[in-house]
Amino acid sequence: MSEVALELQRQYSQITFSANGKIRVSKPRQNLQIKLFLIFIAFISIVSIYFLDIDWAKLFSRVPDLGIMFVKLANFNFKLIGQILSDFALSVSVTILATVYSAVLGILFGAFAARNVIKSRVITTFTRSFFTFIRAVPTPVWVLLMLVCVGLGPAPAIAGLSVHATAFFTRAFAQSYEEVDADVIEALASTGANKVQIFFSAILPAAMSSIVAWCGLRFEINFSESAILGMVGAGGIGYSIMNNMQGYDYGSAGVAIVLVYLFAFSVELLFTKIKLKYVK
Amino acid sequence: MVHKETTDTQKKKTKRNPRGSHAYEVLLIIAAVLFILATAYTQYNPMDIILQPQNFISFITNDFFPVDFSKVFNNLDTIFMTIQMAIGAAFISAILAFITAVFGSRYTAPFQPLTKIIRGFASFLRNIPSLVWAFILFMSLGVGTGVGFVALSISTYSFLVRSFIETIDEVSTDSIEALTSCGASFWQKIFQGVIPSCIQGFLSWFLYCIEVNIRDSTIIGMVGGGGIGMVLFTYIKSFKYHSASGIILAVALMVIIVDVLTNYLRKVVETS
Repeated sequence: MSEVALELQRQYSQITFSANGKIRVSKPRQNLQIKLFLIFIAFISIVSIYFLDIDWAKLFSRVPDLGIMFVKLANFNFKLIGQILSDFALSVSVTILATVYSAVLGILFGAFAARNVIKSRVITTFTRSFFTFIRAVPTPVWVLLMLVCVGLGPAPAIAGLSVHATAFFTRAFAQSYEEVDADVIEALASTGANKVQIFFSAILPAAMSSIVAWCGLRFEINFSESAILGMVGAGGIGYSIMNNMQGYDYGSAGVAIVLVYLFAFSVELLFTKIKLKYVK
Repeated sequence: MVHKETTDTQKKKTKRNPRGSHAYEVLLIIAAVLFILATAYTQYNPMDIILQPQNFISFITNDFFPVDFSKVFNNLDTIFMTIQMAIGAAFISAILAFITAVFGSRYTAPFQPLTKIIRGFASFLRNIPSLVWAFILFMSLGVGTGVGFVALSISTYSFLVRSFIETIDEVSTDSIEALTSCGASFWQKIFQGVIPSCIQGFLSWFLYCIEVNIRDSTIIGMVGGGGIGMVLFTYIKSFKYHSASGIILAVALMVIIVDVLTNYLRKVVETS
C-alpha cells in the first residue's frame, strides 16, 4: 500500500500544474491513451462479471437476511466474555510474535536482496525470486501447511504468518536499504569499514524510519489475517466468531466482532498519529 | 541573516536528534515488552520448530513431491473464476468508490458533514477484516460465488474510498480551488477538475487493487467463495498433498503473472 503511495507522490511532485500554478489543459495524446485504457478495463471487467454467472436477482432478494443478521449480532451476549477475551489475547499475541520474528528475519534477508549491500547479482536475484514465490502463496496456505507439520495450537499460526510476512518485509526492507544515499556508504568504505560495519552503522540507521513504518503497516495486515487462523482451525478470535455463529450464539459473535473492530480502529489511529509526528 | 538561518537549523538538529533517537528506543522497549508478554501467553518457541526439521523434510519429500500437475489442468476454469472475481470486484468497487469519494473529499463535497460520515463509514468497513465480512455474509446469505464476490467487493470498496479521497485531496486541490473561485458548479468541478487531474492516480490504485484481490479472492474462496481457493482447501483438508502442491504452484504462478502485468500497466498509466 505505501509503496504505491510513495510512487504516486513521486509522480505527482512532477506534475506541472501544481508547480507553477497552472491547471492542465487537455493533452490529446494522453487523453486518448487513458480513454482507450479505460475502455479496455471496462470491457475486461464486464466480460469477467458476465462469465462469473452470478444470480444477482437471488442475491439481492436475500439482502433482508443480512439486515436480520446484523440485528442478531447487535444483540450482544456477554456471558462468554472470558472465553472471547482469551481468544482475543491469543490473536493479538500471534500478531505481535509474527510481526517481531518476521521483522528480524526481514532485516537480515533484506540485506541479501539489496543490491547496494550485496554486490553479487546472483545472490540478490536468487533471494528476490525465492521470496517473490513465498509471497505469491497466500497466507492461509502457509498456515495449513504448518498445521500439518507442527500440529495444533498457536505455533503453526505464528509460523505460517511469519513465513508470508518475512517475504513481505524482505522486499520492503531491501527497497529501503537501496534508497540509502550511496555517498554515505562510499564515505564509510573509504575509511576502511567492512561490509558488516557499513550495514550496521550506515544503511540500517538510515533505513530505520521506513522500517518502522513498514512494521506498523504489516502489524495491521497481520492482525486482520490472524482472523483467517480461526477459520482453518488454528484458534484465536476468528475461531471465536466462527464457532459462536455456527452455534447460533450470534450475540457472542457480535461481541467478538466489535472487539476486533475496536482494536483494529485504535491501532490505525495510533499509527496515523505516530506517522504524523515522527515520519518526515 | 545567513548566520541566523544556520543557527536555526542547528537548533532544529540538536532539538530533533535526541527526540528521534529516544523515539526509536521507546518503540524498541515497547516492542520488547509486547514480545515477552506474547511469548509468555502463547508459549511459542521457534526453536521447537527449527530443531526438529524431520517433520518438514519428510513432509516435503513424501507429501509435497512429486508435484501432480494433472489436477491443475482439470481446474483451469476455477483459476479463471478467481481472476474474474478479482477483476470484477475491483471494477464495481472502483465505480462505487469514485462516487463515494467525490462526496467524501472536503474539497468537492457539496456539504461538509457528509465527509465525516463517509470517512467513518469507510473506516468501519475497513477495520473489520475481510474474512470476518466473508464469514458474516456466508452465514446470512449462504456460500457461493456471488456472496464471495460481494465480500471481496466490501474490502476493495473500503480501501478504494480512502485512497480515492486521499488522491483527490492531494492532487486536485489547486484546480478545484481555481474552478471554485470561477463559480463552477459541483458537476463542473468533478468533470473538469477531479477527473482530468486524478484519473492516473485512480487507475494506479485500481490496478493495485486487482493485484491485492487476486490473493484475497483465493483466500475468500478457501472459506466458501468458490474458485481455485476452494479446490485447494478441499485437497489440503482431504490430505491429497500431491494435487495440492500442483495447485499451490499454479496459484503462485497466477499471482506472479498478475503482479508483473499490473506493475507494467501502472508504469504505462503513470508515464502517459
